[in-house]
Amino acid sequence: MKPRIAIFSLTGCEGCSLAILELEDQLLAVLDAVEIVNFREGMTERAWDIDIGFVDGAVSTPGDEAEIRHYRESCKVLVAIGACACLGGINTLKNHQLAAEYRGYVYGERAAWFPTTAARPIAAVVKVDYELPGCPMVKEEFLRFVKHLLAGRQFRLPDYAVCVECKKRGNPCLYDRGVVCLGPMTRAGCDAICPTYGSKCEACRGIVSPEALAAAALNLRDQYHVPQEEVLAGLRLYGAYQEEKLP
Amino acid sequence: MLDRVVHRTDLSALIDELARTRRIVGPVKHEDRFFYEAVDRAGRLDLDFTYCVYSPKAQLLPPKETLLTFDRTTGNFTCHPLYDERPTVLAGVHPCDLHAIKLLDHVFGAEHADEQYLSRRRHMFLIGIDCPHPCTAGVFCRDMHAHVADSGFDLMCYPLERDQAGRTVRYGVQVGTTAGQEAILYGRVGTPPTPEAEQHLARYQAEKDRAFPKAIPVDSAGLPGLLAKSYDSLLWEATARRCYSCGSCNLVCPTCYCFDIHDDGALGGNGGERVREWDGCQLRGFAEVAGPHNFRPKPGSRLRHRVFRKGKWILERTGLPGCVGCARCDRACTARISLVDMYKQLAEEV
Repeated sequence: MKPRIAIFSLTGCEGCSLAILELEDQLLAVLDAVEIVNFREGMTERAWDIDIGFVDGAVSTPGDEAEIRHYRESCKVLVAIGACACLGGINTLKNHQLAAEYRGYVYGERAAWFPTTAARPIAAVVKVDYELPGCPMVKEEFLRFVKHLLAGRQFRLPDYAVCVECKKRGNPCLYDRGVVCLGPMTRAGCDAICPTYGSKCEACRGIVSPEALAAAALNLRDQYHVPQEEVLAGLRLYGAYQEEKLP
Repeated sequence: MLDRVVHRTDLSALIDELARTRRIVGPVKHEDRFFYEAVDRAGRLDLDFTYCVYSPKAQLLPPKETLLTFDRTTGNFTCHPLYDERPTVLAGVHPCDLHAIKLLDHVFGAEHADEQYLSRRRHMFLIGIDCPHPCTAGVFCRDMHAHVADSGFDLMCYPLERDQAGRTVRYGVQVGTTAGQEAILYGRVGTPPTPEAEQHLARYQAEKDRAFPKAIPVDSAGLPGLLAKSYDSLLWEATARRCYSCGSCNLVCPTCYCFDIHDDGALGGNGGERVREWDGCQLRGFAEVAGPHNFRPKPGSRLRHRVFRKGKWILERTGLPGCVGCARCDRACTARISLVDMYKQLAEEV
C-alpha cells in the first residue's frame, strides 16, 4: 500500500508546500509512489490517518500550537519543512522586539483580535522526526528524502557548509569581493543558490555545527572586524541563532 | 631545449586547429579573476593569466559525475558504466598544476586504474604555459620544486617576448609527447628555434630563477622531517579554533583527489545511478564510519591530517609531492588559515 501523505501549514508563506507542487517533472512519479490525503494547497479532501506529515510554517499563535499537536497525533512520521518549521524562520524576528510594538505595527487597533506568541520551530513544541530546512525548502532535497524513506534508507542532511557546494560549482568567493557571506557556517543542501547568483548566504538552512559558529565568532571579529551584533542580526533573519551571546 | 618558436597568433591558430576535433578549455577572465572554462575558440582564452581560482582538477575529476547507471526492472540486473570520451585541449596550465596532474595520473592510473579518470586523461591534450614570475603573493611553488615542469605536457610554452601591453607575443615551445610533436608538425606553425632563441630561453630561465623567492623555511624534501617532529604540536588545535570545517582548502586544491560515492535511486526504485562527488578530509563526516565512529571528530585532528597529507604522507607513498605550492588553499580560506604560516610556525617550534 502506498504511504499516505499530508502537507500542513502553520504560520508562514506556504512557499514550502508550493515547492512540492513545483516539482512538476517529477510530480507524477511522486504521486505514483505516495497517496496525498490532506493538502490545503493542492486538494479539498481531508483525511487524518496519515503515515508521513510534512509541516511548513512556525508555531507563532496559540492556534498553531493546538494544530501542531493534532498533526503530531495524526502522523506516524512528522517532517518539518522550511526555515519557519525548522528554525522559526522570519517569524522569529518578532522575538527580539516588544510584543506591544510589533502587534500595533502589524494589526493596528485590532491587535487584540489576533493572539500571538513568540515564534518557535515545530520541534520546540512536539517531537519532529526529520527536518528539511531552507527558505524555501529545497524541492530536490524533499525528493531525495521521499526516495530514502520509501527505500528504507537512512536519510541525513548534509553536515557540511555551503562553501562545499559553492566550490563544487566553481563560484568566485564573495569574501574576495569584501562581502561577509554566512556560507562557511551554514548547512549546505541548497546547492549554494544565493552565492551562485551573487547574493550572500543568509543562513536560511541553519548553522551547520557548534564548531563553525564558534569559528565564525572568532573570524568575523578578528579577521573582518564585524561587530558581534551584526553577526547575530544576520543569523537571526531566519532564526538560525536565537540566543543573545555567541560562544 | 626549444623545439619551435611561435608567435601568439600562431599559438592561437594551433589551438583552433586542435579544436577542429576537440573542445577547448582554458583560462577565461571574469572581472579580475581567471577560471578554466570551455570556449568555442582560442581567441577567448587569456593565456597571459596570473592564476586560475580553481585548479584544472575539475577537467579530469569533475565535482560530480555519474559513474554508471543500473536497472533491474526486467528482473535481470543490468549496469552501464559511463565514460567521458570528449577529446579536449586544455590550454594554459602552469607548471604547478602540471605537477598536480602528474600526481592525479599516479593515483588514478598507477595505484588503481580509474577508468573514468583515465578516459578523460587519454582524451586530453595539455598545453603548458610557463610562469616568468610568481603569479601572486603567497605562493610557495619554488619550495615545492613545482615552479618549473620538464614533463607532463604535450606542449610547453615559454613566454619569451612581451609587447607594451604586457601580452606575450612570442613563445618558445617545447614538445613533450608524440601528440605534441604531431600537432606542431601538422599545424606547420612557427619557426625552428634559432641559436638566438635558445639564448633567449636561457636568459628567461635565469631571470625566472631570480624572480621566484623561497617562501618557507624548508623545501618539499625537508617537510616530512619537519612534520615528523610536529605531530603533537599545539599548533593544530590552536589554529583549528578558526576552522569552519568547510573544506574549501580541499576543494580548490589541485592535488586533493578524495571523493565519495553514493547510489541515487530513481523514484519507484528499480533503477538509478552511481554518483561520485568530491569529498574533503576537512569535512566532519569524512572519517565517519559505521558505528557511527569518527576517526577525526575534531577540527584540529582534521587540519593536521590535511597538512600531513600535503607535506609528508603523499610524498612518502608516491614519491611525488602532495602539494605544489600554488597556495589556492590559503587564498580560499575565509578564516585565513595559511599553510605557509603554519610551516613557518612549525619550523620555529622545532
